[in-house]
Amino acid sequence: MNTKAKERSQIKVITGNAAAAIGAKLARPDVVAAYPITPQTEVIEQISSFHASGEMDCELITVEGENSAMNAVMAASLAGGRVFTASSSWGLVFMYDAILATAGARAPVVMVNVNRETPGIIAVSSGQQDMISTRDSGWIFLIAENCQEVLDLVLQAYRLAEDYDIQVPVMVHYDGFYLSYLSEVVDVPFQEDVDQFLSVLKDQPQRTTLKPGKKLGCGSHGILGGYLELRHKHVTAMERSKAKFDQIDKEYEEIFGRSYGGQIEKYKMDDADVVLVGSGSMCGTIKSVIDEKREQGIKIGLLKMRMYRPFPSEKMIAALKGKKAIGVVDRSLNFGFKGGPIYTELKSFESKLEGAKLVSFIDGIANTDITKENVGKMIDMTGDLANGKDVQEVTWVSYPEAQGGI
Amino acid sequence: MSEVRFHGRGGQGVVTTSKILANAFARTGQFGASFPMFGFERRGAPVTAFGRFSDKPVREKTQIYYPDVLVVLDPSQQNSDAVFQGLLPDGMMLLNSSEKEVDVSHENLKKLGVVDANKIALEEIGLPIPNTVIAGAFAKLTGLLDIEPVANALEDYFEGSKLEGNIVCAKRGFEEVALYEF
Amino acid sequence: MTEKKKAKLTPVLDYLKHEDPFAKGVAFCPGCGLELLLRFIPQVMGNDIVITGTPSCSAPVLLGQNNQSWHKLSYFGTLMTGAAANATGLARYYKKAGIDNTVVCFNGDGTAADIGFGNLSGAAERNEPFIYICYDNEGYMNTGVQKSGTTPYGATTTTTPFGAASKGKNLRRMNLALKMAMHKIPYAATATLSDLGDLAKKLLKAKEMKEKGFCFLHVFAPCPTGWGAAPDNTIEICRRAVKTNYFPLWEAENGKIRMTKTIKKPKPVKTYTELMKKFKFMDEEDHKILQDDVDYEYCILGGLSVLEAECQLPLPADE
Ligand SMILES: Cc1ncc(C[n+]2csc(CCOP(=O)(O)OP(=O)(O)O)c2C)c(N)n1
Ligand code: SF4
Repeated sequence: MNTKAKERSQIKVITGNAAAAIGAKLARPDVVAAYPITPQTEVIEQISSFHASGEMDCELITVEGENSAMNAVMAASLAGGRVFTASSSWGLVFMYDAILATAGARAPVVMVNVNRETPGIIAVSSGQQDMISTRDSGWIFLIAENCQEVLDLVLQAYRLAEDYDIQVPVMVHYDGFYLSYLSEVVDVPFQEDVDQFLSVLKDQPQRTTLKPGKKLGCGSHGILGGYLELRHKHVTAMERSKAKFDQIDKEYEEIFGRSYGGQIEKYKMDDADVVLVGSGSMCGTIKSVIDEKREQGIKIGLLKMRMYRPFPSEKMIAALKGKKAIGVVDRSLNFGFKGGPIYTELKSFESKLEGAKLVSFIDGIANTDITKENVGKMIDMTGDLANGKDVQEVTWVSYPEAQGGI
Repeated sequence: MSEVRFHGRGGQGVVTTSKILANAFARTGQFGASFPMFGFERRGAPVTAFGRFSDKPVREKTQIYYPDVLVVLDPSQQNSDAVFQGLLPDGMMLLNSSEKEVDVSHENLKKLGVVDANKIALEEIGLPIPNTVIAGAFAKLTGLLDIEPVANALEDYFEGSKLEGNIVCAKRGFEEVALYEF
Repeated sequence: MTEKKKAKLTPVLDYLKHEDPFAKGVAFCPGCGLELLLRFIPQVMGNDIVITGTPSCSAPVLLGQNNQSWHKLSYFGTLMTGAAANATGLARYYKKAGIDNTVVCFNGDGTAADIGFGNLSGAAERNEPFIYICYDNEGYMNTGVQKSGTTPYGATTTTTPFGAASKGKNLRRMNLALKMAMHKIPYAATATLSDLGDLAKKLLKAKEMKEKGFCFLHVFAPCPTGWGAAPDNTIEICRRAVKTNYFPLWEAENGKIRMTKTIKKPKPVKTYTELMKKFKFMDEEDHKILQDDVDYEYCILGGLSVLEAECQLPLPADE
């Protein structure tokens, strides 16, 4: 992260959930609809209290279930409103049909998803499986590392989703428990700065909206004319969103003094032989282990994925090609494939990585903690691979019982 | 960086203690991060929280396995193995206890602070919630920060007469904690 | 205990024919109404029920945690979104396989009245052969006290908090039990913990009536933690809910309503609300709105039960 000296700031110690709620408040949405679920609940509780105190002037819909939340904000968005919702795990997947429809309608919805596991109905632990389960929905996915980034990404998400050239819904993901409940120092932006940052959206052409008397229908696409064109336009808009996101990140720095590198953040990558690829809160831990390892003379760096959909292929290839070995850390599973989801996707670019070797690490799922020891282990194994040793393709770092590379 | 693990029970304000301290560190221009261990929350269930305090931004997002400081709000856990697990050499412990002579021992324990936080809290806010007394005592025991930022931090968690009472709690914790060195 | 009290209690004890399958100290808050109900059900209906439960306050105990369980019943952990459909699947298979069964689909108001109402209504319409019990603590307690469709007017929750622009929930609660009775299912009833004999009778009746199809029980179960009430006031709260007609006790066979307890001189609803902090921001005007709502619902119920005597509803022919 780059930070510029600023004349003024508003330092608060708040949780990731509070950061998301404050981000939403600062964006001045017209309609918010949400349903509580651990570990997201605090987001809607905070918004409810902003609403009750009059600090937030929005239509607040305390729906009877998440499916209604997504349907309500999708429609409000198509009618022309700025909207927000938040969910997690079972709640997110209970929105699934509406998530697909929202993307299909190109409604610029912004939401946060607080990552949580989904194997059992009360699996209350961190993990990105919910993100993977909704990956192919046509949304833009962004991932935050810390509470500050949660807040910053919510604001950036509005710029991206509502950009006239993009108009694709954006989901900001952050790790349940590790970030949702983490209280840490956050520099809360001032309202007038946020207003300025978002004002660009008002200066662009008006997007098509459903208004009374406009003789315009929506939601009926998908048969005959225009369907294929629509699909293709969606895909190209997602492609465009990559560069747009980089640009928004830069503009953000001009106003707020912080930028993160856009689609990916590179940490000590330039001279690194060995690289870990990660996303979310684990990256903070990885950075601190990298600093320790560097003191021992190990040339290791981190590539943090901030954008997961669209996949930042070009940036990743440019940053990773020519490295000796790359360890990809996944906080989720790719059922039917041996390696984790991000690993599997990166593997498809292997031929472009100029000989860099890849290994997959699975950790931080099913109630396990990505500890500093575990990160050290991953770095050592990736280092071994770089040095020509035989390393199994997939390692479940917290589960030594897993044998033979699965 | 100092890594602190908090042990207590639901209803004692364990998580709030760790938040108040993170907040207090931020007020001195330093950095603090705290988060609870998760599980089903119920009044009376054991609760663990983690705090990292440093003059540099805190990046680690993992539980604490090797604490420098233990803060025990629930005296019944004072000698449990789970509490002492991983305590680093020259470790410190802050204990909420009404006992005149407490019996805690561990090879790595260098400094111990004991305060009857429930009693002080009862006297000042009328409730046996020890968290703010403990936050004040933490400042004294560790010497990592002064009482002022701790007292100031309370304004983000309490209002009105509760705020005033809790400020007194924190100050009394700072004054009245008994310190022992081993 | 005085002889009189004992004599009064004995009939209830007579209903407790089976052992309490739950461990002694379980993870509910002190004074939790849900705990009482959950222990009561298998003691009356038998330990051979198959019980389903959702993520909710019942989950830590009913569903256990990973491989530890707090009771000896057969249980099935369902999603909030599909509880009644899960129970349908169980009951239909048992029927097909000729297995004797009592499937109890046990849910909070969050599942029953809100997120899972669609499939509850569907199961009722199809007259599925199981018993649905909703324990109503008037909110989502497990996630930290948010409002639900049964949260009453004036109550504060974390999603209907007090603030400069809000005094608590500003809408009246829905009447879930009446809605279910209107599905004209074989049996629907309300019950609560101050009237255990009545509750026991209704549980047994449901067990019998489920041979004819879908049975629904709505049990008012106070939550001291979420309502801001003293843990030792749980039963008193139930008693006053009944005595003020805030929660009238009735049953309906095939949609025909009959009061099972009538209150001669109902007390003002204020004598009920004063026991809980969740109502503390209500002024006289708010109390009037709540009182009017209570009177209105009671009037409808009364009207329906009178009508029952007058119209002869055609009953579905027995198989
Ligand atoms: C689809 C889905 N959304 C949200 C949740 C989160 N959640 C868990 S328990 C709960 C509240 C349940 O309320 P209720 O059924 O009334 O039971 P109570 O907690 O009051 O016992 C919620 C919303 C969930 N488990 N699944
Ligand atoms: S929160 Fe309420 S319903 Fe849940 S266990 Fe506690 S008292 Fe019972």
